[in-house]
Amino acid sequence: MTDRRPLIAIVDDEESVRVALRRLCNAYGLEARTFVSAQQLFASLDEYRPDCLVLDAEMPECGGLEAQAILQERGTSIPAVVITGRDDDTMRTRSLAAGACAYLYKPVDAEALLDAIRRAIGASS
Amino acid sequence: MVLLAVSYYLAARLGLGFRFQDSQIGVVWPANAVLLAALLLTPTRRWWVVLVATALAHAVAVASVTPAWRAAWQIAGNALFITSTALVLRRVPGLPLTFETRRQVFAYSAIAFVLPALYAFTTPAFVRALFHLELAPGSTLATTLLRVTLSNATVLLLVAPVVLLWAQFPVHRLKELSARRLWEAGAVVLSVLAVGMVAFGTGPEIAVGVPLLWVFPPLLWVAVRFGPVGASTALLGVAALSVWGTARQLGPFVLMTHADRVLSLQLFWIVMCTPVMLLAAVIWERERVEDALQAHRTQLAHLTRVATAGELSSSLAHELRQPLTAILANAEAAQVLLTRDGVDLREVRAILEDIAEQDKFAANVIGRLRSLLEKEEPHFEMLAMETTVGDALALSRGTVERSGVQVETQIAPGLPRVRGDPVQLLQVVLNLVVNGCESMSATPAPDRRLRLRVARQDSEYVEVLIADSGTGLPPGREDRVFEPFFTTKKTGLGLGLAIGRSIVSAHGGRLWGENNLLRGATFHLLLPMDHANDGPTAADRHRR
Repeated sequence: MTDRRPLIAIVDDEESVRVALRRLCNAYGLEARTFVSAQQLFASLDEYRPDCLVLDAEMPECGGLEAQAILQERGTSIPAVVITGRDDDTMRTRSLAAGACAYLYKPVDAEALLDAIRRAIGASS
Repeated sequence: MVLLAVSYYLAARLGLGFRFQDSQIGVVWPANAVLLAALLLTPTRRWWVVLVATALAHAVAVASVTPAWRAAWQIAGNALFITSTALVLRRVPGLPLTFETRRQVFAYSAIAFVLPALYAFTTPAFVRALFHLELAPGSTLATTLLRVTLSNATVLLLVAPVVLLWAQFPVHRLKELSARRLWEAGAVVLSVLAVGMVAFGTGPEIAVGVPLLWVFPPLLWVAVRFGPVGASTALLGVAALSVWGTARQLGPFVLMTHADRVLSLQLFWIVMCTPVMLLAAVIWERERVEDALQAHRTQLAHLTRVATAGELSSSLAHELRQPLTAILANAEAAQVLLTRDGVDLREVRAILEDIAEQDKFAANVIGRLRSLLEKEEPHFEMLAMETTVGDALALSRGTVERSGVQVETQIAPGLPRVRGDPVQLLQVVLNLVVNGCESMSATPAPDRRLRLRVARQDSEYVEVLIADSGTGLPPGREDRVFEPFFTTKKTGLGLGLAIGRSIVSAHGGRLWGENNLLRGATFHLLLPMDHANDGPTAADRHRR
């Protein structure tokens, strides 16, 4: 890790979750930015390069798994932590196989999330 | 037993007042009704106590007017007659004797004719007439038998049901009667009195003919609305009025000779009793069947709600995880912020506000789910269908999102309220929304649209329209989806739409479906507007 505060992109269609996770990341010294959809994230990637993605697995049109696939197609390698509100082991297996660093179930404990983010950033650096 | 003896004594004294002028035969002997009711309500091993108490009361009551040997004969005869009647009644219609079924009324009526006829041969009056010891002028053996038979049949048909039913009546039920019911009871009593006064309290030239028939409408009213207790009481009331009028030389019966007059009165009472009691039993039975049907319908509706909640469980868990995630992350962020020097109070306040808001959101999800699962009797209230639609969409949000369905909602402004059960109507709309989502699983993702519209339908109805772009209904047999156990899903009972239609029908509305021109189906739910008032809605209160 560098001295720069790590940049975290939080992508979740649920505003309350986006805002709360941003506050949590900021409180723990991370620089978090939120996106309402994967498309909004993709559109910002030219001028913004996060160190880690926190992706909601279920979003309309483009969920976490699809977002990972699109990033891979684009050749963009950003470590991702996928969070989900559903107990779906298939989705977990597929996400991890697609390169997700961690797959966490909501409600996400701060320690578990920050640990996953730190591991994801450490693994990629 | 003291109460029984006193009741018997009073009834016997009353009976002594009703006698054929020319003989010892009573017109009616209400004491036997007291004895019969006491035997039917007492275990057989205690009957001897009843018989002793009533025998003593009988002896005291008739001591001044009847020789001891005749009193003893009467006591023995009555005991034999009423005990055998009670034994037969215990066996044939069976206990408890409530007169609430046609079978009981038929069996009781038959027994009330046959046993008095048989018993007549054992009475002192008949035996003495047989040996020409005591035969009133103009009387024959046959008329003596007829008098005794009708006298006892009158007791069994007219008096015994009243005594028996009121003795069994749970008094606390009187306190539960609504004001409206009490008013109706008062109106019935007044109409019975009024008609009785006209029929039996006017001169015979007026009372004869049509006015006698006037007693039937109030009697039928009582039978239909107040069951066997009301009917038997009203019959006794009419009989009492007819005695009152005849004793004052009024009413149609005074046109006959004295003996014929009494026989006519007895026949009039007997002819009234069975049809009126039968009508009361038929109506009572029908109401019980309707109650049972309603209870089954309510249970079935609850079962399908539970099944729907089961189908939605994973979506609802998802719904709860969102606010829980926000609450936890906010709380943990606040904990960190509070450890710092120079706490940003504005940020902490915003966090706490969000926590409270998300907590309420979670509580709403749980409240809606609980209302869906609660097993309650239907209760109709004023409600706004737009609120019901909003609740259904909130409950099904997870399912809608998981199905990749886009929902369009159109709510017309200023919609009138409807009168209905909020939980049952929520169940109907929720079922239609979930069905719509499931029907679109094979539809290309961009085309999965569910359109909900709530609007006025002419001046009488509020319409909820739910249109999907799914597989549609079976062509030419669109209505089959409303048949019980018809389903196109892999899982599901096939009861949702059938129950939905019965719920809507019970609300005075209509529910039907039709195929769209291009793709999918549209369901129409029509509910009658509540024109009465426009107060706060049940659905608003229902929200938690």
